[in-house]
Order: sequence, then C-alpha cells, then structure tokens
Amino acid sequence: MRWPFLSFRLAGCVALLALGLRDAKSAESNFDTGIASVLIRRCLECHHTEEAQGGLDLSTEQGLRQGGESGAVIVAGDAAASRLWQRVSDGEMPPSVRGVSKQLPAAELEIVKAWIAAGAPWPAQRVLDRYERTTSERGGRDWWSLQPIQPAAPPPVPWPNASASQVDDASARAIDAFVAQRLLAAGLVPAPPADRRTLMRRAYLDLWGIPPSADELDAFAADPQPNAYTQLIDRLLASPHYGERWGRHWLDVVRFAETCGYERDQLKPHIWKYRDWVIQALHQDMPYDRFVQEQLAGDELPDRTESTVIATGMLRAGTWNDEPNDPADYLYERLEDMVHTTTTAFLGLTVKCARCHDHKFDPISQEDYYRLGSFFWAGYLGQANLGGPTAAELGYDVFGWTDRSATVEPIRLLMQGERHKPGAEVAPGFLSAVTAISRPIHPPAAEARTTTRRLQFAQWLTDPKHPLTARVIVNRLWQHHFGQGLVRSVNNFGFKGDQPTHPELLDWLAADLMEHGWRLKRVHRMIMLSATYQQSCDHPQHDACAATDFANRWIWHWPRQRLDAESLRDALLSASGELQRSVGGPSFYPTMSPEALEGLSRKDAAWTASPASEQMRRTVYMISVRSRILPLMTTFDFCDTTMPCGQRDVTTVPTQALALLNNDFVHERSAALAARLTVEAPDDPPQQVIRAFRAVLGRNPHEAEQAFCLQYLHDQSAAMTRRQSAQPELGSRSVPVDALASLCHVLMNSHEFIHIE
Amino acid sequence: MSVFRNRYPCQQTRREFVWEMGNGFAGLALTSLLANDQFFARHANAQQSSAPHRAPAAPAAKPYYFGSPARSVIFLMMNGAPSQVDTFDYKPELTKYAGQPLPPHKAYINSGGRKVGFLTPHFRPFRPGGESGLMISDYFPHVRQHADKLAVINSCHTDSHAHGSALVAMNTGNTFIGRPSLGSWAVYGLGSENDSLPGYVVMLDKRGGPISGQPNWSSGFMPSTYQGTLFRPTGNPILDLQGPPQIDQAMQRRQLDLLQQLNATYQQQRRGVEELTSRVQTYELAFRMQAETPEAVDLSQETTATLEMYGVGRQPTDEYGRNCLIARRLVERGVRFIQLYSGGGHLEETWDAHESIEKNHGRHGAEVDQPIAALLSDLEQRGLLESTLIIWGGEFGRMPFSEGPGAPGRNHNPYGFSMWLAGAGVKGGIQYGSTDEFGFEAVENKVHLHDLHATILHLLGIDHELLTYFHQGRDESLTDVFGQVVRGVLA
Repeated sequence: MRWPFLSFRLAGCVALLALGLRDAKSAESNFDTGIASVLIRRCLECHHTEEAQGGLDLSTEQGLRQGGESGAVIVAGDAAASRLWQRVSDGEMPPSVRGVSKQLPAAELEIVKAWIAAGAPWPAQRVLDRYERTTSERGGRDWWSLQPIQPAAPPPVPWPNASASQVDDASARAIDAFVAQRLLAAGLVPAPPADRRTLMRRAYLDLWGIPPSADELDAFAADPQPNAYTQLIDRLLASPHYGERWGRHWLDVVRFAETCGYERDQLKPHIWKYRDWVIQALHQDMPYDRFVQEQLAGDELPDRTESTVIATGMLRAGTWNDEPNDPADYLYERLEDMVHTTTTAFLGLTVKCARCHDHKFDPISQEDYYRLGSFFWAGYLGQANLGGPTAAELGYDVFGWTDRSATVEPIRLLMQGERHKPGAEVAPGFLSAVTAISRPIHPPAAEARTTTRRLQFAQWLTDPKHPLTARVIVNRLWQHHFGQGLVRSVNNFGFKGDQPTHPELLDWLAADLMEHGWRLKRVHRMIMLSATYQQSCDHPQHDACAATDFANRWIWHWPRQRLDAESLRDALLSASGELQRSVGGPSFYPTMSPEALEGLSRKDAAWTASPASEQMRRTVYMISVRSRILPLMTTFDFCDTTMPCGQRDVTTVPTQALALLNNDFVHERSAALAARLTVEAPDDPPQQVIRAFRAVLGRNPHEAEQAFCLQYLHDQSAAMTRRQSAQPELGSRSVPVDALASLCHVLMNSHEFIHIE
Repeated sequence: MSVFRNRYPCQQTRREFVWEMGNGFAGLALTSLLANDQFFARHANAQQSSAPHRAPAAPAAKPYYFGSPARSVIFLMMNGAPSQVDTFDYKPELTKYAGQPLPPHKAYINSGGRKVGFLTPHFRPFRPGGESGLMISDYFPHVRQHADKLAVINSCHTDSHAHGSALVAMNTGNTFIGRPSLGSWAVYGLGSENDSLPGYVVMLDKRGGPISGQPNWSSGFMPSTYQGTLFRPTGNPILDLQGPPQIDQAMQRRQLDLLQQLNATYQQQRRGVEELTSRVQTYELAFRMQAETPEAVDLSQETTATLEMYGVGRQPTDEYGRNCLIARRLVERGVRFIQLYSGGGHLEETWDAHESIEKNHGRHGAEVDQPIAALLSDLEQRGLLESTLIIWGGEFGRMPFSEGPGAPGRNHNPYGFSMWLAGAGVKGGIQYGSTDEFGFEAVENKVHLHDLHATILHLLGIDHELLTYFHQGRDESLTDVFGQVVRGVLA
C-alpha cells in the first residue's frame, strides 16, 4: 500500500460493502478492514498497552475483555449494554479536541455496533498496533515516505511540446517523460522553451546566484552550436560559485549562523571554516553519503582529517545559551537541537515532536526520540567552552564536535520530556518505523575514543536501502531549481507534510542518485537539461492552465522567482562591477547603519565594519550575527537562524521597496555604476543609457526605452541643476553623474532585475 | 484581488487561493487558514487598498476570533525588572521581618551568585489610590491616580532568572530564542488597519536595546512581515524611509514614474503577473509611507497642554513621554501592537536595581510615571481606552531581601512579581492573585507568563489555543500547550 490516503478510502468502502454483504470473506479479513480499522484510527492513540488511559487497552483481546478501571466495556452480543458502545455513541469518546467533537461518523458507529452484536470477535493472538497502518488521523509504518524506494522505468510519453529543442540526454528525457505523463493526465500542455537569454540568466542565477554579463548573454544567444546549453551547464557546475550558491541553501537547512545568540551572542571561532567546508564539498561534488557522514561523524571516521572534523561544525552551529535557567535541563534542549537539525536535514521528519510524547502524526515513538538522542548524549553538551569540545579535544583548532569518551551513561526517556520525571533507560537505536534496514548498534572498539554512535547513525542514513535520505536530498535539489519541491513540504515527509506530486519521478531520481555514487552534480545536470526545466515562465494559455493548476503542481511553466536576499545583493554588486569573487575565508562585517544598531543592549560592543573591499564579497561570506542580522537581509526574507529552514518565505511588502529605493548600500551601487559609465562613455548619454542597461539588465535598451530614458536623464538633470542653484548648501555635485546614478537606480529596482524567469 | 477571486472556485484549493492573496504592510493570518489544509504557506504578498486607512479584514470569519472591542495593545515594558514589593505588591509584613533571612524552606536560584542579605521592606511608602484603594507605592504617584483602571496581577511567575532568557520569554513565551513574539501573533491574528504603518511597532530606550536584542521582537518561524519594526521617536521613524540628499521628492517621483513605465512594458509582454502587480503597488505605498510615516511622530500637531501632560520637553519625562504620546498617535492610526521599552542596555540603565532600589527605581519611576498616567488619561478622554489594552511590567521581579546585609539593592526573582493591565476588557481597580507574606513567590491564583499571554490574546478576542501557525509538522501557538485565561481580570 504505497499511497495510503487513496488506498485507505478504497479500503473503507470495501469494508462497508463487506459488512453489508456478510459474504464469505474470512472473519479475520472482516476484522482488519472493519473494527480493527476503527479501533486503530479512533481509540488506540490513548488505549494501547504502554498508555492504557482509564486502564483500558484496546490493542489486544485480553485488554478488551478485561475492560478498564470502571469495569467491562463489552457485553458480547449486546451493544446497548456495552460501555464501549455507550461512550462512542453518545460522542463522549473519542474526547472532543479544543471544543471540536470527535464523534465517530455514522458508518463507523455501525461497524462498532455490528461487531459487538456479533459477539465482538477477535482473531486469536491478533495485536493491534497504532503504527501498523495509516489512518485518516495519523501516518503508520505504511506511510509512503517510509516505503522502499521503487524506481519504475520512465513512461513512454514524449514531451508534448514539439517546439522544445530537447537536449540529447537520456536522463533528462526520463524526467520529461514523468512530468509529461502528469501534464497530459491533467489536460495541460507545457510552456514553450524559454529563449536563450532567459535561459542563460536563469541558469546563472540558479547555479551561481550571480547574473551573467551582457557580453556572455550576447555570445550565448548567438552561439550556433547545438550543445551550447549543455556546455553552459557544465561550465557553471564546475565553478566554485556553484558551491557558494548551493552551499547557502544547505546552511539554511542546518540553521547556520556564526554566533551563539542570547545576551552575549559570542562569536563561534572558526565556524566559518564549516561554511567553507560546505562550499568546497559541493564544489568538488563530494558524494552525498560522504557529505552526511562527515558532518555527523567526521571525528569518528577512520580517515579522519582536519577537514572532516570541521564538517562536524554542523552539529554545533545552532544557538547556545551561556546562562540557561537550569544547566541540567539545558542539556536536553541541546539534545533536541541536534536531533531536530539532523533528522530534519537528512530524514525530512519531525522527530523532535516525540521528545515529550509519542509523535501525534507519524509512527515515531518517544523511545525513538531518545534512541536517536543517545547518538549525541556522549558529546560535550555541558556549558564549558561555548558548549563544546576544545581544540585540544578535537585535535585541531576548529569549531567541531566529538564525544567526551567511548562510554557514556545511559540516556533515560523523560516523561513529558521533563528531567525530573525520568523513565526507562533507552538503548541507542534507529527509527523503528524504518523497517527496511535492520542493524544493531555496535559498541565501540576497545581502542575507540568515541562511542561511534554518530558514525553508525550516518552509515544507517546512507544505507542504499534507506527510504528517506536520497528522496529528501533530491527533493531539495528539485525545490531550488523549480521553487517548489516534488514534495512541497521539503522538511516534512510525514503525515502533516505534502505528498509528492510526482512520486515515480521522486523515486527515479533518488534511485539514480544512489546508483551513480550519490553525486549531486549529476542530478543538477539532468534536471537542467530537461525540457521541463527549460520551459518559459510565460505560457500562451496561462489563464486556462492556472484555472486547472493554479499552484503549478504539474509544472506547466517555470515559475517566476524573486531574487533571494543573497542573490539580490550579489546581483547589485555585479551590476555595479564591484563584485569581489574571491572564494572562502573569514566572514566580513557589513556596514550597519546606526539606526540598525540601536537594538543592541551593549552599545559599547561596537560593530566594526570590514574594509569596503571586503564588503564587496559575495553575501554568503557576510557574517550572520544572530542578534543583529543586516536589515536588508531580513527585509528580503533571509531565513530564521535558530531552526532548520528548508524553504524561505517569499513576501512582497513595501519595506522591500523602501530598502531598494533608499538604502545606502543600494545607492552606493548605483553611484558606483554611474561613475564607471561616466568614465567609459564620457558626455555621451545615449551610450551611457545603453551601458547602464547592459550592466544591470544584461541587454541593450529597446528603441522606446532608450528614448524615454534619455528624456528622463534630461529632465532629471534639469531638475538637479535647478535645485543646485536654488540650494547651494547642498554642495557641488556632478549633476550628470547624479542623474545617471538615479537612472541606474531605477533599473536596479525593475521587475526585470529582481526577478528570475 | 478580484483577479484572484475569479479564479478561486476553479478547482484550486482554498489554500492556493489564500496563498496568492496576501495582505498589506503587516499582513494577516493567512497561514492559519492554510495550515488547515496541511499546506506550507510560502508566499505572503502585499495587497493594497487605495485607501490608506482601511478597515480590519473581517476577523469574524476566522475560527480563532470571537470578537472584542480591543483593537490595539500598548505594552509598557519595564526592561530590567522592577521590584514588586517596592511598586505594586504591598507587603507590610516585610517591616516586621526586616533584618531576618528568607526562611530556608523557600528555595530559589541565586541569579548570578550574588550576595544574599536580609528581608527588606519597601523603600518608599505605599498609599491607597482611587475608590478601589489599590495600594501603590510612591514610585508611581501619577499612575496611582488611575488605580481604578488597573487590574494588578501580583502572582506572576516566569521561567528564567536571567534577563536574556526572561525577556525573550515575556515576549515570545519561551526562554529560547526563535519563537514569534506576542506582537507578531497579534498582527498575524488580527492584521493591520493601516497599510502605511507597520502593524507591530517597538520603541526602544535611547540607552540601548533589551538584552538578547532582535529575538525579542522577532517573528520567529513566521514570515518577517510579522516582526516588530523598530520605530524612532523623531524624524524618520523607520529604516530606509529617506534616500540620499541629492534626490528630492520630485526627483524620486520621476524615478518611480520611469520605474513604473519600465515595469508596465515588462508586464504587458507577460501573462500571469499578479505578483508583479503587487510589487508595483508596494512601490506606490512606499512612496506614500515616506510622507505619512514621519507624520505619525510629528508632535508639533499636539497642543501644549497635551505635551505638558506627557512631560514632553521636560526632564526626566521627555523621552518616555514622547514615546507614550507617539503610541497614542499610532493607536489612532490603527497600529495593532506597540511596545515601549523603559530602560535600555544593562544594570542601572534599566530597572535592574542591584545597587539601589531607591536610586534606580527613583530614577526610572520618575521617567515613566507621569507619561504613563498621561497616556491613560489621554486615551480615556479620547474614548480610546476601551479599545486599547495597556500592559505594564518587566521580565520578572526582584527579591524581597537585599543584595547583601544592609545593602539597598535587590537581586532577580522569577518566582513572584507584579504586572498590571488596563483598558479594553479589563476589570479596573482590582488586585488579582498574591505572593506569600514576603512577596517572594506567587502562591494564590498563580499567573504564569503563558496565562498572561493567553489573557492578552483573549482580551484581543483571540482564542489562544486556536490561533495557530503550522510549522515543521506542528500547529504552533503562542502558549504552546499551556496557558489559562485569567478570568478574574476580565471586565
């Protein structure tokens, strides 16, 4: 049963039919599709063996017959006299939630009544398990994302747009076939291919986060070679700028910032090396299984190096409070941060919900949470040394993670997640819902310095039989190429998340990734070579398509995107010609306006901006201090740095317009560009307009644009001259440069500049 | 907007509809609607009406909203933590116990490992105020005149003894940074009534921000649209409201006209441009805001009598008086949530009276007492008090014993402290809950900060359990799984 929602509805219908017909179906089958399904869905959450509320355990026949604290619940053959019937029929059970009645629907009441009337039969030895199947209320072990990855051959469906100039690449064709199948089923036709200029700009901003130059655009548009686009993609993927761009996506997921947060908001020394590690790992196309292993257990790998220890900085990049109310409680907060970050990043599951109680929606028990928690329990969770191991303990002068020793006191499950209510000891183990892989946790070897639990966790995660790891990462890649993942809730593959729009494609991509050595660049390449990716934003039948599929689930066009905070800042620097493209190294401190610093409690803890030349570096190298993120960044929806962020918000609000119109940084860029153009084409406004368009938009102005921009320059210059003579106190500025800067500024605010098509 | 409405019935789910619909400056609770459909809202687009001041978006349609006269909140944040036994929690017994230690069975964490002295009575006398006779100390003689408007909660308690965590907890419900603040929830739940002003405004003390900074007014996992906007009391109240001096308004208008011309060309060549249209509108709105936002802080429109009442132009009341008066002007303009910090930076620059209660509270009390009283009077006479909720308090309280034998200061105390509410929906002239005889810990009708938050949302007409934001697989709420509305303070 791979798609429980659909299947479940069918099963329900079948159950009712079966009940009405009282045909020859076996009693056990009736039980499973009938009353068992009702009990599991409606009752077992609170009435199972480990948590038998009111003393009632409805998961076994013995429990049923025994009844609860108030006595028997069933009088076999007599529903009216049965307490169970009484309480469900009057709506008392299941209890209402937040004032909303949870009374069983009539059909289910009928099932209960009929079952009791028939003597409440229970197949011998049958034990009901809350997690055995997905219900309308929660996910079970049969939840789609927990099933093995099952790649099917691409369907024999040609891309339904003959005008698409398809690249001869079998993998890209496969993607198109999967997408085409859904498009046709929905009665949709894909958008025509984007033109070359659009495609190149899209590819640059997608892979590098920097727009191409006008010269590059011209050359590409004029390139007659059939493989020009393939070459472009290969060239972009080969550059470290790809690592910078996609590394930033990963930094969002692992809640990266360079300070601890809270009152003192201490700098985490050398944590920038982790940022560089991410960039280099992606740039060098490190296999994703290795990428996971180094970050989780770089200190435990047999081939441990300084670089692999730096990778463990991921575990330590979160917030850290040097003054927690109760340091003993705080150990568990840090544990949650690590469990949450790693399970979100690698598994796409919300395991943290099971810290205080069994997960409400996914088959994750509280014990599962502490099993995973035990992987980090041996670490330096205490308060010394910014909450982690020292350089000496790590063996390198880096900001990484390791265990205190090879042995550790057992972790205990905490009732309601509270430290003063310890429950049973929990042995290390993996998620019980992942049944495809069965392996024990081995104790560390005699000479080991750590528990090696994190290493075993990483090995489990990267086992080719793991149903989640590969799906989750290919979905993240898809998401950043198309704005939305195939599973739109990229950090939640559980019951409360979205189900995949293209499940077969997701599995096909995941399997392909593993078959080809977990290389992410291969996946990028096949996606970008697909006709699906090369579609235009603009669809000739836009309204009709939108009426069918407003949210573009079936990918009938490439959705227009706004530049994110980093790309916007990098694109501004690129347009002005100031972008400094050096790769790696310590972060720079941006100039922060005095107003933006007002919120600090320690005004004496001065903010020292880095020299201007360093500030011209790419935004991925801008320091993120948790208590003072640059306003320009938050205005354009920079991620929250306290928790894993899989997908940033995209807002359109007037503060963005204010920032682009008035912010000093933006004005400095337009002024720099104007100064440059004035030198390049002195006293030549027509040429300046052309160059301004080329610098900012990567193209020449159209005739009409050229005309009204010249008119604008003329009018603006006249106004500036008048004002200068009227207000000499403003000082003598160069009117032509100011006017040209104001034109460049407009271009930097234009739709064309701040959107990707 | 109508464009979307036409599409709504066409097979697309409500969440897709709402997702694209969006809202004004501070947005609305889009995502609670979306969450019901298990959808991750990613887009909150601005949607502007042509009228700068529009009516609140029919909150009646929202399942969490049950109606309330309250439209705005002013949170008077006494940063650093005032001493309850020296302000609103009258403990005559302390005189009797003076010089004795707190009984040993009263356990507490000694925050910062400071010196522990003996029980010390209030430093200034308490006197009854109003007809209710609420006992209020001489640090707040002006506020005392409004005693009949106040519901003083003497039984508050919180989860941290450290400023950084406790401030964040008072603002967000949790001692850990990263959750949306009270103001974010209010704007998320009720939206904003004014497109040209932020829905959630924070005004800091000139001496500095609160400890932990930004996370105190963060929108956490909600879009940044809902975060608090720092507002300065003079000139350009928000960031980026003014460009460089060489560009005057007419020149900027010319820029905008060119921009709209370029954008119009761009849009004409494309289909499906709703979001682009939204962005064009944000530019027009931004242009208007440049003119209208400074007007909100322009106190030259106020009469001399009003300025005097707030203590504007005189020390030590000028700064807080100005902020209180601006708060009233923001309430008039439909701003939803305003937080005014008294005290900034550290220690004696805030209410953190480790050294001397008399010196510290004497100083900060004198700065805020008259302005707060003026705010209450002014709102009342303008008929705004019934639609404005006022909250007064700090992040925790202070110990009833001195910081060292004979010392005049007091250390942090999260176990019992006082806050008061006034205005919309609040029963005036009452004292709710109490601390033990020492004023050390809340014992009767205890009010945890979750309870306080539940009550504040309730007074805004919001069910704190139903106002949720779906995040990482969970319906998050301000009060998590906690919080009981304090019925005793409701009118």
